[in-house]
Amino acid sequence: MFKKILVANRGEIALRIMRTCREMGIATVAVYSEADERALHALEADEAIPIGPAEPAASYLDIERIIAAARQSGAEAIHPGYGFLAENAAFAERCQAEGIVFIGPPAQVIRDLGDKVVARRIMLQGGVPVIPGMTEEAGDPSAWAAQAEAIGYPVLIKAAAGGGGKGMRVVERPRELLDACQEASREAAAAFGSGAIYMEKFLAKSRHVEVQILADTRGNVVHLFERECSIQRRHQKIIEETPSPALTPALRAAMGRAAVAAARAAGYVNAGTVEFILEPEGNFYFLEVNTRLQVEHPITEMTTGVDLVRHQIDIAAGRPLALSQDDLAARGHAIECRIYAEDPEQNFFPSPGKIVFLQEPSGPGVRNDCGVYAGAEVPVEYDPILSKLVVHAETRSQAIRRMIRALESYAVLGVKTSIGFLIDVLASRPFADGETTTDFIPTHFADWRPGGERRDLAVIAAAADALAPRARAAFNGTEAAAVCPGPFQTLGHWRL
Amino acid sequence: MEYQFKGNEDIIVVNVETDGPERFCATIDDRRREVVCRRISDYQLHLTVDGRQVTAFVAETPEGKAVMIEGRTWLLEDTAATQTRRRGARRGGPSQVSPPMPAVVTKLLVAEGDPVEKGQAVVVVSAMKMDTTLTAPFDGLVTRINVAEGDKVTPKQVLVDIAPTENEQSASAA
Repeated sequence: MFKKILVANRGEIALRIMRTCREMGIATVAVYSEADERALHALEADEAIPIGPAEPAASYLDIERIIAAARQSGAEAIHPGYGFLAENAAFAERCQAEGIVFIGPPAQVIRDLGDKVVARRIMLQGGVPVIPGMTEEAGDPSAWAAQAEAIGYPVLIKAAAGGGGKGMRVVERPRELLDACQEASREAAAAFGSGAIYMEKFLAKSRHVEVQILADTRGNVVHLFERECSIQRRHQKIIEETPSPALTPALRAAMGRAAVAAARAAGYVNAGTVEFILEPEGNFYFLEVNTRLQVEHPITEMTTGVDLVRHQIDIAAGRPLALSQDDLAARGHAIECRIYAEDPEQNFFPSPGKIVFLQEPSGPGVRNDCGVYAGAEVPVEYDPILSKLVVHAETRSQAIRRMIRALESYAVLGVKTSIGFLIDVLASRPFADGETTTDFIPTHFADWRPGGERRDLAVIAAAADALAPRARAAFNGTEAAAVCPGPFQTLGHWRL
Repeated sequence: MEYQFKGNEDIIVVNVETDGPERFCATIDDRRREVVCRRISDYQLHLTVDGRQVTAFVAETPEGKAVMIEGRTWLLEDTAATQTRRRGARRGGPSQVSPPMPAVVTKLLVAEGDPVEKGQAVVVVSAMKMDTTLTAPFDGLVTRINVAEGDKVTPKQVLVDIAPTENEQSASAA
């Protein structure tokens, strides 16, 4: 087993990986950019190595700097987390050339599956159902219109190298096509270094259901059931749950088998996620394979009791899979809410800034994978995720109640968050009824504003705040942490 | 003592009569409530409002007091303070081409003198790796472009001046 692992990521996911490393007795190395000198992941690792300026391209995405940090620290393996270099085949290749273990699938598998067009071809050959659409990249702008007509509107434009909703556009009408393609291509080029796009049919009333898989180097493949991730804004998931309210045991078994078939067709190794679109009639189509740990992996961990990161590390170290399909069972219901620094009243636009106050929820069945602290800065350069709040309960309705309770006890001041919005979504009738299709937010919460019932209380609190003197002289929020440093700023290197 | 807060475009007036250091009566829209308030920390207040206990988290932000109660956040602007702070600045709002957060202009899609339709894309800005297209809030004519591609811009900054067309003006006046 490895003695030291470098985590080539930041924020909550870097911390989540380091926690398992620590439980396994493996030393951890963090890397951090200039914007992250005081970020929690950099503070919590056994060692922390600076890797350059705030811009991702010059630090977290810079393969040479990450490799140099691994060399310098003597780390034998690199866990890439999600995002950044997690699905970068060149990085996986480079690790291999340097004799460093990349905790993820082989470079060629990442390359094949990372190209959505190649992936569709592999799945077609493997007998996995795919969405009607292109099996080639959309090349010439003049050909786009004809291709869209052939598939039939509405169409979905996607980045061939894509993920995380970047470079994705739904096009309803022909006259919107050119702008949408160009915008998507530009966004894809900025995010992934490739502006290649392709098109597929947009299935509006569908659900996004994905299946977790684990595969070892000896050809053993298991699935760990599904996650439903239909509640999305800007094509990015914000609420995920397992089991899916839409699956029957027969459909669950069929999708599990399809996911295992997809993994085998691709020669998959390590943890991965096979994403499907599920139509109301129960037809499902392959969407893509995420060749990494997913943001929403904790809900699977809650219901199966499996530590996915531990299995990733075991598999990367060459150990055979310690689980067979028959060992795996899911109990109860788990829900995850992603807590972003963003403004739900402004189309979920990011809201960077300094967190002046933070109170995390706790209690039975509550897990908060958090990457920030009071006094921490949420930089503008990165995805503004603060934490992932996860609950587990016996039934779906109990899990919903538990999540609402946890969200109501979550306090974040200094940046805007989606907490209030998430409460209203979870408390809504359509969510309770399991009508969680991918158009849920535009359909039910398009022009969301906070409800009025507690407004008077808030006004009374504001008046009380003005009346009750603070302990120190008046200062504004942005200077608060400087006036009153928390333990995380006064401490340097520390351990949990 | 009277406080005036603006939240979600509503002006809320609260009349406060203090009754000792931790007690006051608050009246909003003729509804009177008895309040006991204990300050737990700079950011946390413990309130008892007509017997019901509530914890409120409060911080000052550039947009006013952020008050968080049971997971819901209100931004309450002290309206007297607002007038001082905003004097001379242009009123922000959905009727202007302004970025929702600090961003960089990546593309200008119109030129001065161009007629625009409501909803037409006029500027593309980028922040946190995300492109956002800002659209014309009404039919009109582009009278001035205030920025160039590559400029850093902030919320409430007007990127493109658009003069509404006549019928639009009468519609908004009606």
